[in-house]
Amino acid sequence: MTRYAMVTDLRKCVACQACTASCNAEWEVPAGLSRTQIRKTPIKGTFPKLVAGTLVAQCAHCDDAPCVPACPSAATSKDAKGIVQVNRDVCIGCGFCVEACPYEARFINPVIKKVDKCDFCSPRLERGQLPACVTTCPANAKFFGDLDDRNSEVFRMVFSEGASRRDTPEIAVGPNVYYLGKREQVDLVMASYPPRPPKLPVAGVLWERAAKPLVIGAVAMTFLGQAAAFFQQLRIGEKEHED
Amino acid sequence: MKRTITRRGFMGSVGVASVAGLTGMARPLKAQAHPTGWRGTRRVKKIATICEMCFWRCGVLASVADGKVLRVEGNPDHPMTQGRLCARGNAGTGLLYDRDRLKWPLMRVGKRGEGVFKRVSWDEALDFLANKLKNLKQEHGPESVAFFPHGVSASFFHTLMKAYGTPNSAEPAFAQCRGPREVGYALTFGKGLGSPEPVDLEEAKLVVLIGSHLGENVFTSQITAFAKGLARGAKLVVVDPRFSTAAEKADWWLPIRPGTDLALLLAWIHVLIAEGLYDQDYIRKYAEGFAELAAHVETFTPEWAEEITQLPAAQIRDTARAMGQAKPAVVVHPGRHVTWYGDDTQRSRAMAILTALLGSYGRKGGIFLSTSIPRGGFEVPDFPESERGRADGAGTKFPLGSKDLGITNGLVDATVSSQPYPIKAWIVYGQNVLQSIPQPERTLKAIESLDLLVVVDVMPVDQVLYADLVLPEATYLERYDAPTIAETAKEPFIAVRFPACDPMYESKPGWWIAKQLAARLGLEAFFPWASPEEHLAGITEPMELNLAELRTRGAHKFPGRPYLEDRVAAGEPLFETENGKIHLYSKKLKELGFDPLPRYTPVEDPPKGFFRLIYGRAPVHSFARTENNEMLHGLMPENEVWLAAQAAQALGLKDGEKVVLENADGTKSLPIRLKVTEGIRSDCAYVVHGFGQRSRLLTRAGGKGASDTDLMSRVKVDPLMGGTGMRVNFVRPLALANQN
Repeated sequence: MTRYAMVTDLRKCVACQACTASCNAEWEVPAGLSRTQIRKTPIKGTFPKLVAGTLVAQCAHCDDAPCVPACPSAATSKDAKGIVQVNRDVCIGCGFCVEACPYEARFINPVIKKVDKCDFCSPRLERGQLPACVTTCPANAKFFGDLDDRNSEVFRMVFSEGASRRDTPEIAVGPNVYYLGKREQVDLVMASYPPRPPKLPVAGVLWERAAKPLVIGAVAMTFLGQAAAFFQQLRIGEKEHED
Repeated sequence: MKRTITRRGFMGSVGVASVAGLTGMARPLKAQAHPTGWRGTRRVKKIATICEMCFWRCGVLASVADGKVLRVEGNPDHPMTQGRLCARGNAGTGLLYDRDRLKWPLMRVGKRGEGVFKRVSWDEALDFLANKLKNLKQEHGPESVAFFPHGVSASFFHTLMKAYGTPNSAEPAFAQCRGPREVGYALTFGKGLGSPEPVDLEEAKLVVLIGSHLGENVFTSQITAFAKGLARGAKLVVVDPRFSTAAEKADWWLPIRPGTDLALLLAWIHVLIAEGLYDQDYIRKYAEGFAELAAHVETFTPEWAEEITQLPAAQIRDTARAMGQAKPAVVVHPGRHVTWYGDDTQRSRAMAILTALLGSYGRKGGIFLSTSIPRGGFEVPDFPESERGRADGAGTKFPLGSKDLGITNGLVDATVSSQPYPIKAWIVYGQNVLQSIPQPERTLKAIESLDLLVVVDVMPVDQVLYADLVLPEATYLERYDAPTIAETAKEPFIAVRFPACDPMYESKPGWWIAKQLAARLGLEAFFPWASPEEHLAGITEPMELNLAELRTRGAHKFPGRPYLEDRVAAGEPLFETENGKIHLYSKKLKELGFDPLPRYTPVEDPPKGFFRLIYGRAPVHSFARTENNEMLHGLMPENEVWLAAQAAQALGLKDGEKVVLENADGTKSLPIRLKVTEGIRSDCAYVVHGFGQRSRLLTRAGGKGASDTDLMSRVKVDPLMGGTGMRVNFVRPLALANQN
């Protein structure tokens, strides 16, 4: 099996946004939007005892990705290598997955009017290349590989060096994007950018479990009601109208 | 022959609109959004060339299909770049396809500053300029033409200007940037550092950054080495009044009182000597003037420096000891833009002396040595000697001013005052003189007095509005330039820039423009080559290269001799001073009437209610050159001003609100967003340089953010080399609501 993961070493990252620019150029992401972003945490502490850090954000290709059940057209799915893929031929651009994502990693691309996000540069991987952000990183801070391969760099970083991921006890969907760094900086990044409660997975679940039966029920009831009315009318005949 | 029609190919041939119409989809997706689609349908060629989104000259590969550049990436075969590239480099096509580019030669028809032009042919433009230049030479002498170049392609114009007979060329690279450093290190070690600066960051055990904000200031290969060094465990000292990205990574952050760096350096030197932590063998063997230095710094104790710098004496002592421990593998980063307070050459001297005491110059993990590469040339006539000499004071009023790079502000002064003689015309090439030179009102005054202003550029930068003639240059992706010969790399190399595509519109490469003008001025003999290929062959002749391979790979490296032991082995001199020694004490400065050892001169405090204006860079922009690039503008459309939380609170200002900055002379900036933070001292305000551009022909960048340069109505000129100290201005933020 293959389970792809990305690790960013925040000790090396200088927040230069080369990853964002490279990704944007590679995938023709419209200016002002991005599949991967650099976010600087607020500077914490009191001068001159300060700490600040950098989040390198992108789709986390979660094990239990909330975007998958949120998609009403089944355009979003996990592939065999753990990559969350979007089939754009099927995507209807409804944005449910954008709301569902705990990491704000998805957006509607205004040019194509479909959802857009990081796919770990799948077409590059197929050609034997690394993701564009990894290749271009001037600080050599990004590492990509297979967590199921015990000899990989990312395996070592995640399972020996204890890379962190953006999880909380409430929201733990198994993101495969990890961060290494000074403890206080990683902690600050994790605390500054916790996953947000997935909104529409709930809606999606609601749709599946509650709303869908209700709607079907309502349609059925409407039909039954119409039928009942019809038969009743047959039984009692037309009333005369009085103006 | 049977051809498989792929879905992508099929869609491409049917056309976008009909498919979209038939299926109800917005667009066929993959072919549009995934450039990998080119592979199936179009032949993609990769052309190796050199980036010019900044001046670091990284090697890039341009992917080209059907004459269009689709993507620019780092060149894995380039010895310095190794396939990596910063945000700006990745956004190269944003410059090439910028809708606001200068497209054809223009002649002014409106008033200066209005930016109203008529389109003219190249013949008209070049004939006009050649006639003007002939007349100027006849009436006022060739020195009446001043040249403001920047960038590699300006090399051909340098030749043209020298052949024409004017010595008055000046790049901001000297008097607004690294001039003091070059002079300070040359006084000490016999040679300036050059670019890329030879800092052995990957091997260092300790890195000292003084006002260098690596990370926000990005040169790809330097960042690679910096990050590698840190990952290997190098300790980091960051001296900066602001909590920069580098400061976040620092083991010691020294939030120094702005303008007092020289006091800190002297205290460090004091500790190294007082505690015997300097490299005694190295100093004994290679240096002279140690006794004078030791006596000079005797009273410059950490306690003395604490009063001045507002840094705890213990911290000064600790960091000095850390340096002593890590020596000689210490990089005291010499910085790049170092024209701050007008005593900048002396501060650079102090940094060079500190480097010498640590035994770091020519040692692994310190400053490495450059290796020269033999280069060829062409037989050309001697350049005419100017009888009147330079007008900018380089070599005269400013004895250590560079005669190669000149003093830009010296030329502005000469133009305004007509002293020592009148300057009648400017040719500005690839730089924005209203953003790169402080006191822009003075620069405008100079421009208004000119008979002729010619601007050669890719973009309609600020001074284009005032130009009489505008010549559109091709971008770096469309032109050949003189090869880059990097002797200050650990492994020196040559790299070439060849066009990835044809010049768009009517833009032309710099070499072509220079040659055309030379022909019209009867100066063809200075350009004895017919084509870029011939030019490259001439330059590389003694290097014994396979030129076809060089063009395919983009670069070729040579063995380097970066450390002192390599020089010993090669029988080369170790230091390039006249007597081969490191000059801790400078007899040359003494002879010129300056301090032979660096001395701290007090800086003034900000007036009440004002903050010292400090400035720097963002990783996604280069100077004032990239703000209009669609991709980079998307990443950072405007700048913000950092202000200490305590100060903002006292003024009743809130994070994120828009303010106007007003300097102590009453000059106001465009509106700028306020960043209220703990991460800056409460006596200064910080902005990223390059915003607040005046040119409304820049439809994205024009008028966005605030220009630090506009607020620099004061400068403090370095008496040694003529550089403009620019951190001598004070500003206060005014709530936008109170502005009319």
